[in-house]
Amino acid sequence: MNTLAAWLIAAQFARRRTTSLLSLLAIALGVALGYAIHLINDTALADFRQAMRSVQGEPDAIVAPRDTTGSVGLALVEELTRDPAVLVVAPVIEVRVRVDQHALPVRLIGLDVFSAPAVMPALLPEGREAQASRAILDGGVYASPALLAKLALAPGDHLSLWRGNSRWPAVLAGQLPGSRPGDLLLVADIAWVQAHFGPPAGVGEARIRLAPGVDATRWRQALAERLPSDLLIRSDDDDSARVSNLSRAYRVNLNVLALVALLTGAFLVFANQLTAVAQRASQFALLGVLGLSPRRLMLQILGEALAIGLPGALLGLALGHALATAFTQTLGGDLGGGYFSGSAPTIIARPLPALGFLALGCAASLAGAAYPAWLNRQQDLAQALKSGFAEETASSSARHLWLPTVLGVLAYGLAQLPPVGDLPLAGYASIALLLVMGITAAPWLTQRVFAAGAELPLAAHQRIALQNVAQAPLLAQVAASGLIVSFALTISMVTMVSSFRLAVDRWLDEVLPAPLYLRGKATPLPDELLAALRQPDSPFARFEQTMHAALALDVQRPNVALIVREIDRDQPEARLPFTGAVSQPPPTQPVVWISEATQELYRLHSGQRVRLPLLGREIEVFIGGVWRDYVRQFGAIVISRSDYERLGGRFAASDLALWPQAGHSATAAAWLAPLAARFGCEVADAGEIRQLSLSIFDQSFAVTHALEAAAMLIGLFGLAVTLAANVWLRARELATLGALGFDRHMLSQAVILEGVLIALVGLLIGLACGIAIGAVLTYVINPQAFHWRMTLSVPWPSALAGAALTLAAATVASRYAARQATRLPLAQILADAQ
Amino acid sequence: MLSVADLAKRHSGAARPVFSSLSFAVAAGEIVALVGESGIGKSTLLNCIAGLDTPETGAIRIGRAQTDIVRLDPAGRAALRARQIGFVFQAFHILPTLSVEQNIAVPLLLGGVAANERAQRIEALLARVGLSGFALRRPATLSGGELQRVAIARALVHKPGLILADEPTGNLDPRTAGEILSLLLAQVRAEQAAALIVTHSQPLAMRCDRILTLTAEGLR
Ligand SMILES: Nc1ncnc2c1ncn2[C@@H]1O[C@H](COP(=O)(O)OP(=O)(O)OP(=O)(O)O)[C@@H](O)[C@H]1O
Ligand SMILES: [Mg+2]
Repeated sequence: MNTLAAWLIAAQFARRRTTSLLSLLAIALGVALGYAIHLINDTALADFRQAMRSVQGEPDAIVAPRDTTGSVGLALVEELTRDPAVLVVAPVIEVRVRVDQHALPVRLIGLDVFSAPAVMPALLPEGREAQASRAILDGGVYASPALLAKLALAPGDHLSLWRGNSRWPAVLAGQLPGSRPGDLLLVADIAWVQAHFGPPAGVGEARIRLAPGVDATRWRQALAERLPSDLLIRSDDDDSARVSNLSRAYRVNLNVLALVALLTGAFLVFANQLTAVAQRASQFALLGVLGLSPRRLMLQILGEALAIGLPGALLGLALGHALATAFTQTLGGDLGGGYFSGSAPTIIARPLPALGFLALGCAASLAGAAYPAWLNRQQDLAQALKSGFAEETASSSARHLWLPTVLGVLAYGLAQLPPVGDLPLAGYASIALLLVMGITAAPWLTQRVFAAGAELPLAAHQRIALQNVAQAPLLAQVAASGLIVSFALTISMVTMVSSFRLAVDRWLDEVLPAPLYLRGKATPLPDELLAALRQPDSPFARFEQTMHAALALDVQRPNVALIVREIDRDQPEARLPFTGAVSQPPPTQPVVWISEATQELYRLHSGQRVRLPLLGREIEVFIGGVWRDYVRQFGAIVISRSDYERLGGRFAASDLALWPQAGHSATAAAWLAPLAARFGCEVADAGEIRQLSLSIFDQSFAVTHALEAAAMLIGLFGLAVTLAANVWLRARELATLGALGFDRHMLSQAVILEGVLIALVGLLIGLACGIAIGAVLTYVINPQAFHWRMTLSVPWPSALAGAALTLAAATVASRYAARQATRLPLAQILADAQ
Repeated sequence: MLSVADLAKRHSGAARPVFSSLSFAVAAGEIVALVGESGIGKSTLLNCIAGLDTPETGAIRIGRAQTDIVRLDPAGRAALRARQIGFVFQAFHILPTLSVEQNIAVPLLLGGVAANERAQRIEALLARVGLSGFALRRPATLSGGELQRVAIARALVHKPGLILADEPTGNLDPRTAGEILSLLLAQVRAEQAAALIVTHSQPLAMRCDRILTLTAEGLR
């Protein structure tokens, strides 16, 4: 029996080499993409976590201020040290500083040499313990090997560390041998760091190791209850969750795209197996007559699919591994998504996920063969033996409109549901239903189009061809389904991306009001620079300053950006792109304007009063409005400089928006450039920033274009295969027509007409479904996963051009099928048919 | 070997039954010709006997165990066919993707016969049907007469007790038809199998042990 199965599979491969190989490759592609994305994410996440741990150590708890400009008071540190449950408290101050004139901001970590080794062993300086302790306590600074290489420094060098107006002339005492290869770090004694860069009354964080046997969760809970409201307590788990949340929606989105690739692979197997089953109906019937049981016959068909799926999936695993390696080397661990910059980790494969993807590839191919296998089982042996594949058994009941209607309504309902754990799962389900809706609508439309076509005043042979498809539309439906799925996916992606790009384009106009921008890369600008800008000889009429900080509103989520701007609190709409009306704030209360992501993640709304952990205390602020932000996916809050300073905040700008004096726009940039370079700052005009933003946007969607192209190719290929199979199946009918006097030209015309009409049906449904799916992507997936809201705009020119191109390709495919048809020797076919 | 009792068959949707209350038996080693006008129901009867079609009433007992194929489920029918029945068709039905040898091997594979015994039996049968040296040929390179010899070899290779042939010579010229029928009869006799052969040719029918004629009124 197994021998027979092997013979039949081998024979089938030999006969349908191209189709089988392409099905195999499609499965391989789907598995490869999915597996590569999994590997890259897995490795990048693990790497990012490890990087975090190497700097932070693995403390049982971290006490930190909610406002990143704040600090942990020394009294609390003292108190924690005295707690018997605590083994060690390691206070840390971390600031970003500049080294000499280098443009690169560097993390400077101030630690206490006595407590740090127990918590952060990776940050220990080189050399013998006592000696190193002496050097660091004397103000020595240690650098990671990567930083030494990058800045071409060597131990013993004198360097000037500066931030804003503060300068620290330090001596490079040695290296940090325990730091990771890519880390750019400086380590110094905490007291020295505090003396130069603050914070004045406390430390940045207290990292805590508990005594053995202490229940860490319980202890953290107890501490959290008596902690002042401006402080928070984090665990290692919180940090892991935060790292994972950082890119989760992006990862899920990529995984869904990979699933789509696998789905198209399954479709190809389906088209391949269905046509193979139809072509071999009488052979399978013969095997049944000879005594092969129906179950084994079904297993044979599934086995043939597995013979494609298993090697395909294996190839996919190898390809996926190679892809993942290549991508992490070139784009970094986030596929250009910008979440974990600067890491190029090595890919490590683990057996369980690999097995999972192998199973997924096999399952896809089996799913593709399931319907053909079932269809074959429905065939009547005696009848199939006599006259081949009988189509009447193939669901004539499917030609009704109720199924797609129900599916459409369900899809609409799912699109209204809220996200599940910040993920738009119902939205993805809605997309899947819309695709199925398109496929189930195909029988109805195919029948209508062909029946209507047959009524047209056409030549006899063309009418016969149309009538034939109207009566026996199974293969036509399959061919159309392939196009429906691939075209719908392509149109939906194109629609979403173009809506998004248009929205970003308009948004950039609103958020870039000034002609020129200067950026201090998250370090404060020195007064010297600001003073130079205020000199009478400065070519600038005015400038607006912005300061960046961050608030931890939820320990498991990435921080919310706090943006302090020189903005008119009574007229914020001049600077922020509000999505709705702006509420007038009460004159005495501080006002903030929140981004859409903040609104959704923390369930806040305009006109509301909330308490925010600002400047070391809880302050009630008024939410004046909600503005659109396509950059900070985890939320941003804007407050005016005047309110911030009134609350006691120390304003230290890191970014500037500059307006040159009339007629000086050309000279202004030239004047500013050397000044900025002296302080390691970057200058860009609005156009450049806009260009850069859009090119980053395009880059992050580049991978979707590749998938669109792959989907269209697969769809067209499915069309060609099914059309050719259709012709083969109807060889006898065509031969009879030939014998009745239709010439080859007429026959080929009829076949081409059929192909073009089938493609038209597929494109029509695909376009409709594609726009619907595009709407789900735009109005459900993007807002729920990324908090990006925008309005749908269908790019009609490219959609129609794509449809025209596909129709042209379909004509070529039909021409190929027609040539196959007219090549068949008529006499032989008629003789073969008894 | 085969006993049919009180068989009736009506195709779904047809007004009149194809036949009703047919009863006959074929003994082991007996070769029976089945004749009758076109459309009278000969193929339908054969399909019922082989379990490819289901009669409305009646029993069809096959083999020494006299298993009633009508009562079996599709898998049971397939298994019974694999063990007990050999088929020869008018349209040959040789699997085009397998070689001559592989085609003949199919019933042996279904019966789980070991590889070396398979090779011996096939070689012997190929010699008996006059196709020595054809083992590795592809079906597309064979003539109609040669294809039907392959089919006869395939029908006999697993030593079934009952051979069913539906117009086995219908697609062949008269001279080849005679040769093929002689071959079939000789081989069936050699195997001591029972056979039911549908044919339109009176001279060919005359060479069988007995002739059954199917008419609108029943068997004669
Ligand atoms: N699947 C079917 N559905 C309905 N009627 C059928 C079916 N198959 C056969 N018939 C009818 O049953 C009758 C018997 O057909 P059958 O094929 O058994 O005839 P036959 O005696 O073998 O004819 P021939 O000598 O031409 O092969 C015919 O009238 C035929 O039209
Ligand atoms: Mg017949």
